[in-house]
Amino acid sequence: MGNIFGKKKRTRVTEQDKAILQLKQQRDKLRQYQKRISLHLEKERLLAKQLLKDGKKEKALLLLKKKRYQDQLLDKTENQISNLERMVQDLEFAQIEIKVIEGLKVGNECLKKMHEVMSVEEVERIMDETQDAIEYQRQIDEMLAGSLSQEDEEAVLAELEAITQGDVELPEVPSDELPEVPEAAEEKPEKERARKKPQREMLAA
Amino acid sequence: MSFEWPWQYNFPPFFTLQPNVDTRQKQLAAWCSLALSYCRHHKLYTLDVMEAQESPVFNNKKIERKLSLEAIQVVFEELRKKGNLEWLDKNKSRCLVMWRRPEEWGKLIYQWVSKNGMVNTVCTLYELSNGDDTEGEEFHGLEEWMLLRSLQALQTEGKAEIITMDDGKGVKFF
Repeated sequence: MGNIFGKKKRTRVTEQDKAILQLKQQRDKLRQYQKRISLHLEKERLLAKQLLKDGKKEKALLLLKKKRYQDQLLDKTENQISNLERMVQDLEFAQIEIKVIEGLKVGNECLKKMHEVMSVEEVERIMDETQDAIEYQRQIDEMLAGSLSQEDEEAVLAELEAITQGDVELPEVPSDELPEVPEAAEEKPEKERARKKPQREMLAA
Repeated sequence: MSFEWPWQYNFPPFFTLQPNVDTRQKQLAAWCSLALSYCRHHKLYTLDVMEAQESPVFNNKKIERKLSLEAIQVVFEELRKKGNLEWLDKNKSRCLVMWRRPEEWGKLIYQWVSKNGMVNTVCTLYELSNGDDTEGEEFHGLEEWMLLRSLQALQTEGKAEIITMDDGKGVKFF
């Protein structure tokens, strides 16, 4: 058991991680070096000022030369740090790319497996069967719908007509904001007329 | 922001251990919380008993009272029992103060890590406690032993793994 866990733990930190860590440590060291040099520079600048004040121009000049050299060092360190950081980013990005490829691979395999399950013939057969079933259902529906005679159908239509007529008789709803809502239940020509009206109103406005 | 002293701090008897058990317990509790909040305010992680006696926390110059070394030991011992303190040596002269438990630190660090989308990346310990990115975070400037403890706490939760290399340590978050 402990062995399994031990193994699992070891695999969580990869070689790349170690490499990144090493790079980052190097960067940290450079950062510390940078800090040290900048503090030093500040100190020397003050010292040079003091020397100038005391009239020791030669010494101040020497000090400034030294400072200049350290300035260059600082620049170089900055470059090195950015190099290291770029390397770290490259490594991290490469890792991400590997993961992307792995993900694509898994997806691809999964898709392949699913395609194996769904062959074209199978799909055709299923679609045919479904079509047959729909046809069968339609036949049943027809047989059941046959229980209403032609007269009944006519009566139903007449009643529908009566209801829609009744709606037209109703006084118009004087709403400018929502003209569509009350007419929604009415017949189509009715609706179109209602739609034209607000347009005319808008033109008038 | 200056430190806010509790009212007891200006109360002379507070600086003498009380004989009555109940009173003493309350007094010790007040001392513990005072010591912890003082360390928290000043971000102190290690204390030296001798130095502590001279520091304002155990030495109120205004009312000219200071806690005796024995009493400080009692207070520290109480803190140790609560898990907030650990002795560094057998003579009990130096100690580590944990005003926030390692698990809590770990949680804070992990929150920062996930907020910055740094899960699954490697960090150096220096980067966490002294890096420019953590400036302004509470764990900035955390002493290394405390940082390591909190990362160990995260490791037991499976959220991080400490990597030891020849020159220094690093951590990978998950």
